[in-house]
Amino acid sequence: MMRPAILDDPKRELWLAWYATVGFYSLYTVVFFIITRTQPPGKPWYDPSQVVGWFAGRHDGLLIGFALIFVLGGLSATSLALITYSIRRMSVSRAFAYSYLILYAVAAVPGFLFICTAMTVGAMRPERSPALLQWLYDLAFLSFSGTMGVFLIGSLIWMTAILLDKNHVFPKWFGYLNLCNALTEVVVAPSWIFHEGALAWNGAIAWWINVVVFGLYTGAFIYLLRSMILREDFGTGPLPGLDSKVWRTIVPVEATV
Amino acid sequence: MTTTQEPLVVVREQGTRHIPGQPDMWVFVFFESLVFTAYFCVYLYSRTQHERAFLHGQSQLLAWLGVLDTVVLLTSSWTMARCVQHARAGRYAPARRDAFLTAGLGFVFLVLKIVEWVRLIHLGHTFTSSEFFQYYFFLTAIHCVHLLIGFVVLGVLVWKLSASQEIVETCATYWHTVDFFWVLIFALLYVVR
Repeated sequence: MMRPAILDDPKRELWLAWYATVGFYSLYTVVFFIITRTQPPGKPWYDPSQVVGWFAGRHDGLLIGFALIFVLGGLSATSLALITYSIRRMSVSRAFAYSYLILYAVAAVPGFLFICTAMTVGAMRPERSPALLQWLYDLAFLSFSGTMGVFLIGSLIWMTAILLDKNHVFPKWFGYLNLCNALTEVVVAPSWIFHEGALAWNGAIAWWINVVVFGLYTGAFIYLLRSMILREDFGTGPLPGLDSKVWRTIVPVEATV
Repeated sequence: MTTTQEPLVVVREQGTRHIPGQPDMWVFVFFESLVFTAYFCVYLYSRTQHERAFLHGQSQLLAWLGVLDTVVLLTSSWTMARCVQHARAGRYAPARRDAFLTAGLGFVFLVLKIVEWVRLIHLGHTFTSSEFFQYYFFLTAIHCVHLLIGFVVLGVLVWKLSASQEIVETCATYWHTVDFFWVLIFALLYVVR
């Protein structure tokens, strides 16, 4: 019987992490947008009776969806690990990689796990007073949207590492895209203040524009992590180029007229 | 701005053509322009829903202060363009002086903006007082965040002035982009009726 080629591929662990990353983000999208219907977010101005109705209408979806997250959400660690690996592969200090890893690991608690926990509690305890359910509803969406700022420094760390890197692990444009992503995370902060309008947690600016930018950013880094694995030579110097028009090699500085 | 001093496409001695700075920075310019366009669309849509309230809010702004902001920032673009020209010619001392002048004008803009915010808050117009001022404070504040990043960018420019013309042009591109956003914000908040 022939031995599968993947078992002898020195990049097999990296591919495993990459496919797990794709799996995590696919799961995340399906759970939040389809199964639990917690995205787009509920209305911030709902009164307690409307919140009770909101939980009742999503009861089964909340339990099934967040059960999946509690079982499989740990796959997000592979995404973090791969990004940390990419920063370690750069010519910059390891401090960038460790800072990014710690910051995102901590930020995932308010930015990702709080909403899962609060929504599950709301779905599992429908007999509680409507005021308590409204409190859980607010906690869930405010922690999910309002704490985006804690990811901001992580994006800036990754950006700085890419711009300083001489190993060409990522193109510089992705460094700048990190800045775009960080700047849209700033604008979510007013969702703590507003109950309606463009800056509320479901608003055109705080949610819709932000989620489009985050979606493009996530798609870009998943694609670029794949490119990095393809180009990985397990050395310490610059990564070899890739036959792709998307990839721009760094142009040496030239004297201009 | 640089584009008024030099053509956007610079012809090099070897006859090759290139855009100023790293092409990667133009990805940022394009993407961030799309994001700001989306903000402006949201603002304009809200304005059509509450036109009278927005007109009342606009009447509380001092147009001359907005014009002064614009003149200061456009002047900073001019000094930045001079900085790029000097750096291209290898005249690093005047290029450094122009970079500091640019930073100074950026700082003046920031002070003017804070003065305007304090005045409005004293008049009772805050982030939460009306929909117009919600957008006013949001747009001017997010622009100021870009400006603050611009000071870091200017620091990189001064640091790499004699080492890399590409980085000088990349930093200038960022600064001009921030100015460009302000011109649009000024037009929307102060001028459009």
